[in-house]
Amino acid sequence: MTSTIIDEAAKAPVVGPPARQPRKRRSSTTRKTLGDWMILVVAILIGLLIAVPFFLILINSFKSPADYNAAGPLTLPTELYLDGMVNFWQRVDFPQKLWNSFFISSVVAILAVLVSLLNAFALGIGRVRGRTWIVLLILLANMLPQEVLLYPLYFMFKTVGLYDNQWAVIIIFVVIQSAFGTYLLASVLGTFPKEILEAASLDGANKWTMLWRVVYPITKPTLSVLVIFFFIWTWNEFLIPLTFLVSNASQTVPVSIAVLQGDRLMDVTTTSASALLGLLPTLIFFLIFQRTLTRGITAGAVK
Amino acid sequence: MKKNTRTLAGVAVLGVSALLLSGCSAGAAESDSNTLKLWHFESDTSAMGIAWEEAITVFEEETGATVEFEEKSFEQIRSTASQVLNSNEAPDILEYNKGNATAGLLASQGLLSDMDDIYAEYGWDDALAPSLQTTARYDENGIMGSGAFYGVPNYGEFVEVFYNKDMFAAAGLEVPTTLAEFEAVMAAFVAQGVTPLAESAAEYPLGQLWYQLALTQADRGFVDDYQLYTGDVDWSGRELTYATETIKDWTDAGYISTDATGFKAEDAGTAFINGTYPIFYSGSWWHNRFTTEATGFEWGTFLFPEAEMSPGSAGNMWVIPEKAANKDLAAEFIDITMRPEIQALIGNNGGIPVAANTEDITDEKSQELIGNFNTLTEQDGIAFYPDWPTATFYDELNAGLQELINDTKSPAEVNEQLGGQYQSGVDDIVG
Repeated sequence: MTSTIIDEAAKAPVVGPPARQPRKRRSSTTRKTLGDWMILVVAILIGLLIAVPFFLILINSFKSPADYNAAGPLTLPTELYLDGMVNFWQRVDFPQKLWNSFFISSVVAILAVLVSLLNAFALGIGRVRGRTWIVLLILLANMLPQEVLLYPLYFMFKTVGLYDNQWAVIIIFVVIQSAFGTYLLASVLGTFPKEILEAASLDGANKWTMLWRVVYPITKPTLSVLVIFFFIWTWNEFLIPLTFLVSNASQTVPVSIAVLQGDRLMDVTTTSASALLGLLPTLIFFLIFQRTLTRGITAGAVK
Repeated sequence: MKKNTRTLAGVAVLGVSALLLSGCSAGAAESDSNTLKLWHFESDTSAMGIAWEEAITVFEEETGATVEFEEKSFEQIRSTASQVLNSNEAPDILEYNKGNATAGLLASQGLLSDMDDIYAEYGWDDALAPSLQTTARYDENGIMGSGAFYGVPNYGEFVEVFYNKDMFAAAGLEVPTTLAEFEAVMAAFVAQGVTPLAESAAEYPLGQLWYQLALTQADRGFVDDYQLYTGDVDWSGRELTYATETIKDWTDAGYISTDATGFKAEDAGTAFINGTYPIFYSGSWWHNRFTTEATGFEWGTFLFPEAEMSPGSAGNMWVIPEKAANKDLAAEFIDITMRPEIQALIGNNGGIPVAANTEDITDEKSQELIGNFNTLTEQDGIAFYPDWPTATFYDELNAGLQELINDTKSPAEVNEQLGGQYQSGVDDIVG
């Protein structure tokens, strides 16, 4: 995450005299001014600050409990200690949890984007009456704290026999994530150029073809960003998976990490190791799709 | 961009195939009459984890039934029990927290089985000391101490003094047997520039010390009033005035560092392990950790000097959900965990068994620990914990003691504030 912030900052518009240059595009030969460097330094500092917890996890993951007791959380490990990680891996059957998280997050990401696109097509391009209110209603799913939703959802899913089933979690998060997706996409599609749509309908396209042949290809970059967001957000969810995934075999990574927190004692090194294991997949996922992420939002609607 | 789209498509395909795959496996396993579905949250290397694993083996051999065991997280059982136990996913038996807000609440909602009949059948009430039974019985309002049995504790816990033998020897000090000697020992450490007590006011340790100090002046009637609401607690009375004023005196004398306000229990514990402080007054739950991690010095334990009673209680307990499919098997399993050989396993691995034969305990450190516990239970000295009476008193007590240590409030003001908070919490419960 740090690297992106720094990247972004490096790309940030130039402040100071050079900004008044008539040329719109900044050429790479422009001399860096003091202001540039200041911004870079501030950005790096903020980046480091954000990365501190991550570094703490990293150094404590490879520390033995004895080392931790003797020197505290802030020192580098004296030797590479992997037992904590190995123990956690075996204790919770980590590959299974990894698969569960991956399965739930990817299904949610894709279904939620699909639902968002369909909703947004109706609201943004279809121009339904009172759509602001509809969007607001949908956004309630995102605005309500999850604790409020817990009991109603519990009774609903118990009645339909989906309690202790991954599909309960998938359905809940498809709704919650697509609420945000609908909001975002509806406003993006609200500014969709009329000319293109009119041209398409002159060519005899019906609504369905218009959606898949015209709107979908053009909004694709935004959609892929949403897929990534939804994947990471769903991956990190704790409360609802904790409540709805009763059997160990169906649990997700964040829920399995909770196993390490006891009644009164905590095991800092193993907890760090498990946090690192839980964080790595999202980090890797993010790094793979990082380019899509930075481009998607800035990509224009019309090419 | 092209490449990324393809990767995304790959994720999509994987997701969809996963969808199809899980379609087959989603159906939950049906519980049959010969399977015991068991949950607990002890790690497999802890005393209870080791003993219960053996109990599972014995149970499977003797009954021919299979045990379907799942290790749950403490957090999951704590926050989802009322939902799980109200559904068909309820296990046949699980480890659950004792206390009014947990087991008591579930019992009053009818989610736990009344165990009076099986208690009589297996004779567990003879095996458990009276003060250990307190947390196993709940009345119709979910208040502990009377009413039917709803759980069976397997182990106990209590609070005692851990001390660093090497530091005591280096300072030429003996284990104190009276409160005056204890203060003399601490004064001697202060004279050498060492803060004697590892304390944490951000979490439970200082609250427990405060309660212990009150207990040195108290009798069982005070504990019943305070914990079981049998009478009014006098917050300007002898016991609590002594407790709060002593904490203040000890802080002023340098026995307790004012830094303790920001320390968590974990910080105090690790500071004892790395030899910063010679004395740590805390619970037996640290015993196992000190055995494995405090290897740099010799350490020992003793009960708080001159105290007839100390904080402590029966541990978390086995409960049988009302919706359990195989209650008889669950009762048989509990009986196996109460057998001397299983109880001895708890004792020899750093836990405190509730029904062990003392001669079965071979480990020297464990003998000391269990000896202390047995001394307490024999003199009816298990006094529970200061934060038990109301749901919010844990935070209120910590906040009050922090203000006391910081010198922002006088002992009398702290007691007045705590008394008000205690009383309004109790009024909510008793009505």
